[in-house]
Amino acid sequence: MAAIESKHDDAKRDEAKKMIEAYLGRLRRLLSGVNQQGAGEIIEELHSHILERVEASGDGTSSSVATILAALGSPDELANEYLTDNLLARAEASRSPLQILKSLFRWASLSVVGFFVLAISVLGYFLGAVFIMVAALKPFHPQAAGLWLLGNGAGDAEISLRLGFGGVPTEGRDLLGWWVVPVGLLAGCAVVVLTTRLALWCTRLYRRSRLLPRS
Amino acid sequence: MRPEAPRAAEPPDKWEVQLRKGCLELAILAALWDGKLYGLEILRRLESDSDLIVSEGTVYPLLSRLKALELVRSEWVESDAGHPRKYYALTGAGKRRVQVMAGMWERFSSSMGKLLAPLARGK
Repeated sequence: MAAIESKHDDAKRDEAKKMIEAYLGRLRRLLSGVNQQGAGEIIEELHSHILERVEASGDGTSSSVATILAALGSPDELANEYLTDNLLARAEASRSPLQILKSLFRWASLSVVGFFVLAISVLGYFLGAVFIMVAALKPFHPQAAGLWLLGNGAGDAEISLRLGFGGVPTEGRDLLGWWVVPVGLLAGCAVVVLTTRLALWCTRLYRRSRLLPRS
Repeated sequence: MRPEAPRAAEPPDKWEVQLRKGCLELAILAALWDGKLYGLEILRRLESDSDLIVSEGTVYPLLSRLKALELVRSEWVESDAGHPRKYYALTGAGKRRVQVMAGMWERFSSSMGKLLAPLARGK
């Protein structure tokens, strides 16, 4: 009889262990946006918390574990709390446009201000990329790529950055010629750096503001 | 007028939840004033000393945020319990910050006290 009961207890404990593993496993998957060391630490800290709570309760059954896990909130809620901060912190640390855009996307999903910062940053990076691409494509389309002043004969003129895919314009003038290579590279890099600076500055303000109570 | 004390069966008052949430950062930093504590100790300190019943799921991400802001630092310490614990301690910046916050809190609560005094007299 005692043997049967102890087997029953073992089964219950196994079930509780599986619940904890499933909970932490889901959290780990949700935290895939966090760097591996950071995610590992979060999981280990919460695992330690759960084990300690289980010990304190003196009851390793699945129902008591379920209560302990419920007190922590769902893995989704937890991951959301961690990810927002972490992405913003990583954006600040890495300074890579890709990382910044990733965190801005997240911020944009949370607030209108975030959306505007994202829109301006996308525009900035796009402009920077076009400048750099014109410079890079000039050797391949020497006649057509460049900064063109396009006239339509009626006195209206527009300035156009052309990558050179559309052929050589019939009217107008290539303003920079080969100078577009260094100028485009410099201007492109400057725009990218400025956009990064601006986005990081906004991100930093936002992170500081998160210290205040959120409504 | 509704009676002030909420009964246990009532859902938590939204304003009260926000109020508690807003104070949580100060409460955590203050709990660390006397020395390093690990997550569960901080939670227990908040429960026993302050009656600040907080959702456990908000404390851990908040600790990680405070760490990112370099107001606290953390270290893993092996324990007799068999699993390591992550201890948190105030940094120099954290100590200065919690003092500033405590000052703000004093000023705020004393002016609120003055404002609320007539209500207390009216009881």
